[in-house]
Amino acid sequence: MEQPFSNEIIDTLALPQFEDVQLTPLHPSYLKVIWFNIALVFSIMAIAAGAGFYFINELQPYRLVISGAYIFVVILTIVINVINFKTRGFAFREHDVIYRSGAISVSTTIIPYNRVQHVAIHEGPVARWLGLATIEVFTAGGVGGDIKIPGLEKIHAAAIKQLVVGKIDSKQAEDEEDIYTAATKEQDLPEEDNNYERY
Amino acid sequence: MKDTNIDFSQPQRQSLLGVFIMFADAFQESVRALFPIIVISLLSEKKKFIFYLITAGVVLIGGLLRGYLRYRNFTFYIDNNEFILQKGIFKKTRIGIPLHKIQQVNINQNFLQRLLKMYEVEIDTAGSSKTEVTIKAVTAQYAQALKERLMQDVVGKNKIGDIAADSVQNKEIPFITVSFASLLKTGITSNYVRSFGILLAFFISTFQHLDEYLTYSDTKDNFISEYFNTTFLLRFIAFIVFLILILTLVINLVRTILRFYNFKVVKQQNSLLLSHGLINTRNTIIRPDKVQMVTVGRNYFQKKFDVNDVKIRQASDLEQSKDRAKMSMEIPGVNQAEKNALLEFLLEKMPERGFPIKPNFRKMIFEAFKYIIIPVSLLYAYTRLIPDIADILYIIPVYIVFVATLIYFAFRNSRLFITPDFIIRQRGAWDIDNDILAPHKIQGIKLQQFFWQKMSNVGTIKIYTAGGDVHFGLANFTQLKKLANYWLYQVETINKNWM
Repeated sequence: MEQPFSNEIIDTLALPQFEDVQLTPLHPSYLKVIWFNIALVFSIMAIAAGAGFYFINELQPYRLVISGAYIFVVILTIVINVINFKTRGFAFREHDVIYRSGAISVSTTIIPYNRVQHVAIHEGPVARWLGLATIEVFTAGGVGGDIKIPGLEKIHAAAIKQLVVGKIDSKQAEDEEDIYTAATKEQDLPEEDNNYERY
Repeated sequence: MKDTNIDFSQPQRQSLLGVFIMFADAFQESVRALFPIIVISLLSEKKKFIFYLITAGVVLIGGLLRGYLRYRNFTFYIDNNEFILQKGIFKKTRIGIPLHKIQQVNINQNFLQRLLKMYEVEIDTAGSSKTEVTIKAVTAQYAQALKERLMQDVVGKNKIGDIAADSVQNKEIPFITVSFASLLKTGITSNYVRSFGILLAFFISTFQHLDEYLTYSDTKDNFISEYFNTTFLLRFIAFIVFLILILTLVINLVRTILRFYNFKVVKQQNSLLLSHGLINTRNTIIRPDKVQMVTVGRNYFQKKFDVNDVKIRQASDLEQSKDRAKMSMEIPGVNQAEKNALLEFLLEKMPERGFPIKPNFRKMIFEAFKYIIIPVSLLYAYTRLIPDIADILYIIPVYIVFVATLIYFAFRNSRLFITPDFIIRQRGAWDIDNDILAPHKIQGIKLQQFFWQKMSNVGTIKIYTAGGDVHFGLANFTQLKKLANYWLYQVETINKNWM
């Protein structure tokens, strides 16, 4: 650590490299969730457009253009979502979690366990039916730096949560206590107070 | 400090004058709540005097009553190492804060409080901002005594010496005092781009109205063309530009002086106490362990004048963007020596500019695309649709030259300096900012690459900290990945808390 940087740069080659890690893809069933979401959004749009064509006569001449644009957007959305599904992958290393996603721009986020604030699991209605869950890893670095991994088997998600929480806890046992989680004892909070009093 | 033996274990009220401050608050809230009604009644045709009278009466009496009731119901005391605050007229609220959770106690004064010679005590805790507590009206001595009582425990925990020895007003020699001359220098040299933009927008909109007015009201076309001959027009434009420049300077100067008048930095135990302001006096405590990032900024003029602008970003709450702004403290007009002393204190050692990483030239292409090609083609398409406003297109060459210059200088200044102890990101075209952070403050790292950037092996890196993000790119992606690995290694091995 004390050497000048030129030495460090050689050192960094010997460091474990996140880009070499084999990422686990999302569960194949998650693709069904994606299909469902796309179908839902676009059928609502199609119904709205259909109603528009039927009731508003002024739209008649634009029928072809609108339909063409609609089909184009549908295809584009499908392509982007499928590519995105294929890029997505995650890995839980000894000291950090890695998550990759994106289609047009691919981004890889890495969060060390000793900076994790808390972990949350949630399930959407469709995902729950398929037995899938989403795991979210939060840090103090703001929304952009958080990780949200969808399409995990429920048991898998719970196990991951156990793992990460375990890592945080063992870290915390060493340093006294976490300031955020053990925040002040808050009873009734003053925030809504004003609204009640306003007349 | 003769009043330090106030018995805080008994429930305390604020000073009686607090009624007025509570009233002012309640009044403000009432006006805000009734604002739509006020506007509607002012706009309505049937103006009935009695109606106004009743409204005003309700607002005034209701406000006074609420102010008084709030004052009556606002009590606080310290019990069993816990600060307890009770308040609320109908909905009673009780807030308890264990003393060891208290991070900061700030003493502030706004204009009204200054008139009434009252002070405001603000208690800041770690964790959710909802638990933040403000006591709005106490005397100077009382505020000081309360602060000392509350901070006793903090000090005890940190095992630093006796805080009774620390009385804000008297004993300390200021660590840094920003002189009026430095403020003047900062005032006339900062925020050009922002104020200039605002003023320009203002003048353009006024000009448009004037134009419309002239074309609609004046039927004598000859008169206008006679009047608006070339010399006149040039002179007029020169005058407007001159006016904008002068106004920019004046506004910046006034803003800087109002905000930062009498800026003092005092070293207190292990922290810094900042106080400043002409009308509203603000006091803020900064603890080095809470500092996540320090930004040092200056432009060409400021370099010549030897003034720097130091921004300190502390760990902020997760979601509150309002809080985020509050947690960023600015110290204007410090010279090189003062800046170094500050950095050394806040970052534990003087940061060095280490190994520089330059951006890839594609950064300029990318930005030219984003800020020149796309807006200009959109504007062009727009003028094709509405040919009447085609005159706007004259502005395009000016815009292109201006933005291209900015992009070029931003590229030239864009650097990432790395040493084992610090990361320094330099950026900016005119105002050049250096963001300095220690690797152990990193919360997470994100590497980003568009699909067309894969071939040229360039990308962007984003470093997330609890005090804000740092972006750098486009740069060699292999190098960025190496850096990410290095920083992760540091975060995972250095046994230092980020807060």
